[in-house]
Amino acid sequence: MSRSDPTMTIYPVSENALLISWLEQICPIQHQQITAMAQQINKSLSAYLIETIVSYNTLQIYYHFDKITLPSLEHKLSDIWQEIVKHTERQHSQSNSVEIPVYYGDEVALDMDDVVKHTQLDRATIIKQHSTRVYHAFALGFTPGFCYLGSLPKQLSVARKATPRLSIPKGAVAIAEQQTAVYPNSSPGGWHIIGQTPLAMYQVIEQQFIPTIAVGDTVKFVPIDKRQFIELGGVFPTS
Amino acid sequence: MKHLEVTKINGMATLQDLGRDHAQHLGFSGSGAADEFSFLLANHLLQNSPNSPALEIVLGQVHLTANSSCQFVLTGADCHAQIIKQGANADQGQKITNNRSYHLAQGDSLQLHMPRSQLLTYLAVKNGFEGKKFLNSLSQATNEFNLAFTEPAIKQGTRLALSSQEQATDTFDNKIKPHRLNPNFHQEGDLVLRFIPSQLWHDLPTAKQEQFTEQYYQISAQANRMGYRLQGNALTIDPSAAGLSKPVCFGTIQCPSDGQPIVLMKDRQTIGGYPVLGTVIQTDLFRLSQKRPGNKVSFLPITIGQAQAQLSAFLHKFP
Repeated sequence: MSRSDPTMTIYPVSENALLISWLEQICPIQHQQITAMAQQINKSLSAYLIETIVSYNTLQIYYHFDKITLPSLEHKLSDIWQEIVKHTERQHSQSNSVEIPVYYGDEVALDMDDVVKHTQLDRATIIKQHSTRVYHAFALGFTPGFCYLGSLPKQLSVARKATPRLSIPKGAVAIAEQQTAVYPNSSPGGWHIIGQTPLAMYQVIEQQFIPTIAVGDTVKFVPIDKRQFIELGGVFPTS
Repeated sequence: MKHLEVTKINGMATLQDLGRDHAQHLGFSGSGAADEFSFLLANHLLQNSPNSPALEIVLGQVHLTANSSCQFVLTGADCHAQIIKQGANADQGQKITNNRSYHLAQGDSLQLHMPRSQLLTYLAVKNGFEGKKFLNSLSQATNEFNLAFTEPAIKQGTRLALSSQEQATDTFDNKIKPHRLNPNFHQEGDLVLRFIPSQLWHDLPTAKQEQFTEQYYQISAQANRMGYRLQGNALTIDPSAAGLSKPVCFGTIQCPSDGQPIVLMKDRQTIGGYPVLGTVIQTDLFRLSQKRPGNKVSFLPITIGQAQAQLSAFLHKFP
């Protein structure tokens, strides 16, 4: 395989950051390679490295730009990728499966009407489609405990809002294009809200941050009714 | 505990250092001082280590009372601050000049007023403030108070712990130390934001690129430590050009489908899904952080090499 692997591009995005991109696809196999690449970079380039951040088809690297030139770093990264590709068949991922209870009722599904309009599906079908699929956890980010899950059935694909909502309620279950996620806390956001979970998206134990979903996990949404939502500690959003 | 007590606060103030280096993979903001120039200058003037935590004050209007003597300096927005001796009237205060070190005696009150220009003032004390750290940083990310990983939000009655290394001194040198720092780092008026273009920007037709670089944008009221939303002639970018959600960084220029760009700041999210036009260089982000809603900015593309040279030169001023 040539050094200029067409499946991978390296691009400087900041004085001290590079973004490595692969094919624009939500693909657990490609994602596993990216995760492996991040682990290898953390191991072998630690002298230059500040931090790595994994997403669906990208890997961002913060580095000490005073310690290594851009071409030299790019060269090392290409070498690491070649090794990853060679040894892909030997990699195994250990992942947990996580079940997230979701109440899809009117009080919490703040954008369901919009989703019905855009998808031309009825509510019951939207809920069924959203809760039958098993999702792969592709990235942890945006805000602490926020895990990007893919991929959503194509029929449910809705573009992000033109103008982000200034405050999305804690626990909101939302969709955008081929992704779905839970908002762990109240925050701004541009996704469409179709339900809410009473489950906490992280725990804080002795100053350690433990997300409910880890990158690589499989996730399923389980519909619950209003009574279960309240019993599990669910709080309705204040409008 | 030796401390400064907040006796009045009209806006927002947070404790900040240079932020967290190893947090974004967990979804935490990098956080840290928004205007690193004024932050580093304050610590430099007190001969503190560069990462010593200081108070970042938005639009002044804070009163603090010392329960122990301490040395301090104010940098950034000029709040026409004064020191009021215990029992004295507000009109008997000692006027404070920015970028000089002063001494607060036990019982003295430090009062900051609304600045006439700029946004952020840094109050640094000798050896820095102390407090609860998370991931090696004391920085209070405004969107993460609910996690309680750092000190709680500052309000009236909050006691800001002074460093236990602080030595009370009755005599001290109050002369302005000559330093190599550019006193004109922050400029009044319109700000040119130099940026490293993204791949998406390079693929845009020339007319779109020119629309972006040849107009002035106004900073909207929605400008804070997370991001600055700008207002101008809408720049329409196909939202699907963004592809899948990707990591963002300090200075990422997002363009949502309403065509109004957002520049991400220190308390930004870690991953985003809007089309990205590029990244504003860090030294210009420090300048942007001092601009207020209504101020105007424009964009100028530069190369990654030029951007790195700018940041290197900046960092060399603060050895």
